[in-house]
This record gives sequence, C-alpha cells and structure tokens, in this order.
Amino acid sequence: MNNLRIGKETLLLAATVVLAVIGLILYVAAYFWGFFLMAGAAVSYYFSLRIKNGREAAWEDVRGFLKKLSIPAIGIVVAIVFGGLIMLLTGYNPLKAFRALFYGGFVRNWHVSILNATPLIFTGLSIAFAFNAGLFNIGAEGQYYIGLMASTWLGLRLGLPPIIVIPFIFVVAGALAAAYNAVPAFLKVKTGAHEVITTMMFAHIARYMSPIFIRANGGDPATSTHAYVTDVIGENTWLPMFRDFLPRANYRLHIGILIAIATAVFVHYILYKTKFGFEIRAVGENKDAARAQGISIGVNVFRALLFAGFLAGLSGVTEVLGLSHKMFENLNAGYGWNGISVALLAGNNPLGVIFTAILWGALDAGGQYMTRTTQTPNSIVEIIKGVILFLIVARYIYTVLGGKLKKRRSAAVKEAK
Amino acid sequence: MTLKKGAAESRSVCLEMKNIVKRFPRVLANNNINIKLYEGEILALLGENGAGKSTLMNVLYGLYRPTSGEIFLDGQEVVFQSPKDAISKGLGMVHQHFMLVDNLTVTENIILGNEPGKGGVIDYKTARAEVKALSEKYHLGVDPDAVIENISVGLQQRVEILKALYRKAKILILDEPTAVLTPQEVDDLFKVVKTLVETGVSIIIITHKLEEVKEISDRVYILRRGEITGVHSTPDVTKPMLANEMVGREVVLTVTREPKKLTGDPTFIIQDLVVKSDNGIEALKKLSLDIRPGEIVGIAGVDGNGQTELAEAIRGLRKVEAGQVLFQGQDVTGSSTRDIIRKKMGYVPSDRHRFGLVLPFSIAENIAMGYHTDPPNIRGINMNFRYMDEEAQRLVEAFDIRTPGTNVPAGNLSGGNQQKVILAREFSHEPEFLLVSQPTRGLDVGAIEYIHSQILNMREKNVAILLISLELEEIFALSDRILVLYEGEIVKQFRPEETNETEVGLFMTGGKGAENE
Repeated sequence: MNNLRIGKETLLLAATVVLAVIGLILYVAAYFWGFFLMAGAAVSYYFSLRIKNGREAAWEDVRGFLKKLSIPAIGIVVAIVFGGLIMLLTGYNPLKAFRALFYGGFVRNWHVSILNATPLIFTGLSIAFAFNAGLFNIGAEGQYYIGLMASTWLGLRLGLPPIIVIPFIFVVAGALAAAYNAVPAFLKVKTGAHEVITTMMFAHIARYMSPIFIRANGGDPATSTHAYVTDVIGENTWLPMFRDFLPRANYRLHIGILIAIATAVFVHYILYKTKFGFEIRAVGENKDAARAQGISIGVNVFRALLFAGFLAGLSGVTEVLGLSHKMFENLNAGYGWNGISVALLAGNNPLGVIFTAILWGALDAGGQYMTRTTQTPNSIVEIIKGVILFLIVARYIYTVLGGKLKKRRSAAVKEAK
Repeated sequence: MTLKKGAAESRSVCLEMKNIVKRFPRVLANNNINIKLYEGEILALLGENGAGKSTLMNVLYGLYRPTSGEIFLDGQEVVFQSPKDAISKGLGMVHQHFMLVDNLTVTENIILGNEPGKGGVIDYKTARAEVKALSEKYHLGVDPDAVIENISVGLQQRVEILKALYRKAKILILDEPTAVLTPQEVDDLFKVVKTLVETGVSIIIITHKLEEVKEISDRVYILRRGEITGVHSTPDVTKPMLANEMVGREVVLTVTREPKKLTGDPTFIIQDLVVKSDNGIEALKKLSLDIRPGEIVGIAGVDGNGQTELAEAIRGLRKVEAGQVLFQGQDVTGSSTRDIIRKKMGYVPSDRHRFGLVLPFSIAENIAMGYHTDPPNIRGINMNFRYMDEEAQRLVEAFDIRTPGTNVPAGNLSGGNQQKVILAREFSHEPEFLLVSQPTRGLDVGAIEYIHSQILNMREKNVAILLISLELEEIFALSDRILVLYEGEIVKQFRPEETNETEVGLFMTGGKGAENE
C-alpha cells in the first residue's frame, strides 16, 4: 500500500514537470493553448501535494499561494485604474488604450514581451540574490555590459560546434562578469566600501568602455554600415530559435527565455535548499547572529556579489547570442536598472522574478503597440510601472508594521491563555 | 521611606482608573481594572510579560482609548485623545525604550516638541537655564549641553525624567525602568525617584521584578492575565507571596544547587588574556581564570568592565592581543568561531535578538545554525530539512518550547521561548564547555526558573560553565565560584556561601579593589 502511494506521488510529480515544461515552451512561443497544459501541471501538482500532506494541508498551501498572489494583483489593478484616470484627465480613451496595451503585450507582440523579459529575468535574479544577502547590487547594468562584451568577443573568435561553444560562452562570459564584480566585493569585505557606490561606478566604467570595445572589434568600413557596430558573431554561437521546432513561433524568438527560467529555478534551489543559500540568507537577515554561529560574513558577502555578477552577466550573453548577434553602442541599455524594479516587485523571490520580468516586458511591448495604434503616449506605461512599484514598497512598510502588530497581539494571546 | 500602613490612605487620591476594559481584536488585555494612586506615593504595578501592565499605562497615557471605563484626575473625569492631552494634564511617561534623538543635546531633546520662544526662534538660553535648574533641584546631575549619544544609559533615562518634569508632570509613569540599568544605576535611579516623591510627584513603576517592588514601592498592584489579582501595602507582603500571585502558582524563586565535589583538571583555562575594545583600549588586562568540569564560575561585574570583550574573545569573534585560551589542554586562542563550535564549546549570547537568533528564520533553521555544515544537518551540498525538522521537533518537546510548529519564525515567539530555542541549540550538542551570558535578561519569573534549572542540569552533566551576568542574584543562585570583574581584571574571588551581595557589589564598583591589592 505504502509503495503504491509513493509510486502515485512520483508519477504525479513527473506528470507535473512534463506538462509544465511542454506547456511553458508552447505558451512562450505564442501557442497559447499551452496554458491548458500548464494548468494541468498545476492540478497534478495539487494532487501530489494532497497525497503527500493530506487534503487539508494541500488546500492550505493553495490558499497561502493565492493570498501571496493577491497582494501584487491588487497593486497592479490599482495602478491600472490610476493610469486610466490620468488618461481620462488628459483626454485619451483609457478603454481603447488598455485594450491595445494588453492585446499588444500579451497576444499580438507576445514575442517582444518575452524578448524583453529574458535579460530582465537574469538581472532581476542577480539583484534579488544579492538582496537576500543584505546587499544591493545596483550595478547589475555594468555586469550586463561585461556579459555583452565578453560574449561578443568570444562569439567572434570561437569556431567550435554549438553544443560546446554555447555553454562555454555562457560560463566564461558569466565568470568574467563575476570577476568584474569581484573588485567591489573585495573592497566591501576588506574596507567596508559600500557596494551601492562601487558597483554603480563600475557600471559606468563598463558602459563607457563598450564604445572602445566596439570600435576595436568593428567590421571593415567597406562592409559595415555603421562604425559603431561589431562584426556579427559566428552562426555556430547563435542560440537555437523556437522556430526551429515550432513553425508558428516568431522568427526572432530564441530559447534564452527557457535558459532564464531554468536559471531562476536553479537560483531558487541554491537559495532555499543548499548550505550556500542558508548561509547567504542568515548573513542577509542578521549578520551578527550568523557570525556568532561561525558563518563568515566576508566569505558570504564575497560569494553573493560574485554570483550576482555572474547572473547579471548571463543577461548580456543571451542578448548577444540570442537576439542581436553583434554588439553596438547602447545595446538595449537599462536592463540592469530595470532589474531592480523586477527584483523588488518579486519580493526578491527568484521564482517571482520570472513573472515580474514578464510583466515588465509585456508592459513595455504593449506600451509600444498602444502608442502606435492609439497615439496614447508611452509615458502612461511608465506611470503605471511607477505606481505598481510604489504600492509594492508601501506594502513592505505595511507588512513590516502589520507583522509587528500581529506579533504583539499573538504574544498577548499567548499570555492571556 | 516606607510608609506605615494607613499613611497612604490619609492622603488625597490624585488618580483613579475605574472599571477599565481594553479589548483588542482577539485579546482582552485589561478586564475591569480599578486603580487608585495617592499623592506622593510610589505605586508598583507588578505582573509577568503580557499581563496587561503596559496596556493599562498606555490607556492612562492616552496612547490607547479604553474600550470602557473612566479615568479621574484629582476627582475630575478626563478623556485623553492622545499623549499630548495626558501631558497637558500633568502626566509623564518614561518608556522602556527611550525616545531621544541621539545626536542632539540634552536641552534640545528636552525642549523638542515644546520649544520656548516666539516667531519660530527658539530661546535656547532660557531653556538651558530651566533644564539646569530642574536638574539641580532634583539632584539629577545632567549636563544640559551633553550630547545624548555620549552619555550613559542611566543618564539618558534621567533626561527622559527631566523631559517629563520640564512639561510639569505631577504623575510619572516609569515602564520597566531598571531593565537597561546596571545595579549602581538602579540604586541611583531609586534615589532620584525618592527625591521626586518628596517634592510631591506621584510615581507608578511598571515592573516584573519582585526585588524592586520590595525596595522602592509603597503599595503594589498585581496583574495577571489582564486582571488585578492583588493589592497590598508593600511592607505587608513577602517576595514569595508576590511571586505566587503574579504567576498564579507556586514558584521556586531560587533553584537549589546541590553542593558537589569537583574532580579532575580544569576543562577551560584562560591565561593572561589581553583583548582590546572597539575603540582600541585594553578591555581585558591579563585576565586569568580556570573552570573545572561540572563547575559554574560566575563573572560578576558592572556592565562595560570587559564582559562583552571576554565573551567575544572566547567565541572567536574578537582578536586576542596576548595570552592564551586553553580548552581540554588544547590551545584555542584565535581559533575561528566554526572551530570553536566543532570543539563542542557552546555559547548563549547576552543579546539574543542580535547575536543569538536570526528572527525571520524558522525554529528548525535557528536550531541547525552553527551546526549546519555537518551531517546530519547536511547531505552533500543540500540542507537536510527533513532531519532539521525532526531534530527541532524533538528539542521543542525536550525544552518545552511553546510554539505551534517548528516552521514558525523565531521572531514570533515570546522572549522566554526564544531563549529556550538558543538553549536547545547549544545544550543539545553535548558541549564540554558553555559560555552563558546574561541568560535571563528581560525574562519573567517562570522562564528564569526554567532556564536556571537547565543550566544546573548541564552542571550535573559535568560541563564547565562560565556564567556572565549583571544580575547578582543570578550569579549567587548558580555559581560555585564568583569572580569579580572590574576594569578588565579579576579583582576578587569568592565562594558564594562565604560572601554576600553587598560585599561583591563593593568590589564590582572598585570600592575595595585598591585595598585588596
């Protein structure tokens, strides 16, 4: 009987994974019926929980999840209503604009949303991870630029088969971005120099190094249309496209998003399951207590900033290998800065970052579509983003205060019993 | 200063709280409470943490509105919408956590929110003179120009008192005033309180310490679970009576320590230890001590005489300048904290929130912390959460930790239960040496009793224990030997049965150190 039960649970978990992965791939490539597979995965996961922990506990988990989800959902709704009011006041039709925004962001130009989201997931993960160690890796933008440059440089020179060269570039370019962050990390550990200042300065250095790099790797003026563009990297280093196996997918959509999501799952695992993550979180929550229990603050701060640099570097790699296949000046600048919003919105939870990055990407993509089709200014989208973020920050204040009140109350309950 | 019975009753009632009920969404914090305060008396409000003392005083001070009930001042009914109203009617409150701005001067802090002068220009001169005059009148010894962050906690508390007096308080509420003070500062505070009473101020002291009730108050109200369970004229009651009414059961005030013959070589030896404090001054000057298996050595001393530095040096958190720390014959001077944990040397830090626990972490995670690098807490690179939960569950039962589950964040527990989590972690790994620093700070009688018995239990298991405490009572209750720490040196050694608190107290303040040398 016992064996049978375990067998059932494993079966359900396997079904969850298969359905989720296939559903996700389809959905991302704009085969929207993939949603039903993902929903199926959710149901099968629920039943596996029910077998494992019993009906009550599983239901409790579902309720807790929905409750967690409700707070950002409310924030988004409020922000949309607010954006609508502003449109009304300034003489635009909010219904038409929002229809265009959502149709553009989530249906028509869904592939653009996904392309926007891919690098944002990496920078968001980078910042969220550092936040968990109590560090603010504000210079993710710089590590992104290192990722861009390193992958372009390697892509121009390596002629190995894709199966070898692509993982190699990911690892080496990521490691170089990590090494770039090693300097601020070292300064932080040795002298206490604040990472907000040092990583930000390093971001500027990386960014303004890039024109020099581009010119050094630029094409022959006779064949290149623009002096500030590098040569195109070898086709052997290009990321596979969704179109290669799903013919209806958009021709620009590369599999970077799948790598990004897999990385998010990996970061979640690191943070919540491993010794490394345990120490990082302990240092982030209370470095004095961590130190008194033998956890080295310096080692963990150093590791966290390096890993954060690695993650932000990957965002540059996916941009070059997946989308642009070359580097030019100011190539999609701002992913590092936007990653801060994405991480904050996700409450620094690695899995949450996936969704907030897609939301951010969709708002950008939908905003462009909205401007093109309804002439509503794109700044509305920025206002909505600002309001969402504001509400999230306000939520932090609220929950911190609310938590304290609750604690006091429950302590009083305990004593009163 | 103690009043004869009936003396208080002959005075006029300056404050009366009638049938006060305060209901929170799920708690009845105050249930039908009646309190009278006579002019010029010191009233103690005694109760365990969470009994409703602070709620009641917050109702009085206008921070909470009562659900029902009335407050009378000098026979007149008053309704306070906010502390501002209460202050204007002559009430003052000194909170447990001071409400001072660290980088302003005493005068600036006192006038803050009530600045004299007109047209937006503050009249500092008058204010300063007034503060000075008040300080002299009540013998507070506060320098009006000192910056708050540069003065001691005891003085900061007096600034709070001055603040209330400056606002013409006739009734002063002191919320757990001794919680943050050293024994000497407590004595000084009580002197101040007595001076205040002589000049006609009435005082309410909130406390959970029986000692203080006996020492300072004229009358005492005892609160338990939001209700008054007793009213006494202080000279008429004994400490055990108070304790029983407060806790609602028989409480052992001092645990019994079985006398014991010590055998074997010292487990733990410190030789000529020199350690510097944060600002580079020698905090420990060639300190030496040794502890044998099954012995509790108590370090008595006023806060700031090197206790922190001693604890941190032993734990590997602070650099040792010179000297040696030997554990089971091995030199562990300058070992990393991780090595010290692995060698089975336990540590109960004095500040459990800052050094003991990661409050957002679950009980299971807190119990594993420090031992999380070794199996069975770890499997490969993964934490073994299943084992951690089972182990935590076992310890929750063994140490009587009151919690709904092992996944509850440590921050949600009461102070006593938080301390039990730390004890569970440190005592369950079969330590050979324990460094226990202020294990019962801020805890109530029931929790103190439990924690003391657990420490003695470790003594029975032949653990060498170094106890650092600012509470002399605790030192006397637990120690086999008392060492007095004064300005970084052990100035005297006692057996507890051959001395008393007064004598030890004298050495603690350096009163007898010179004569001894």
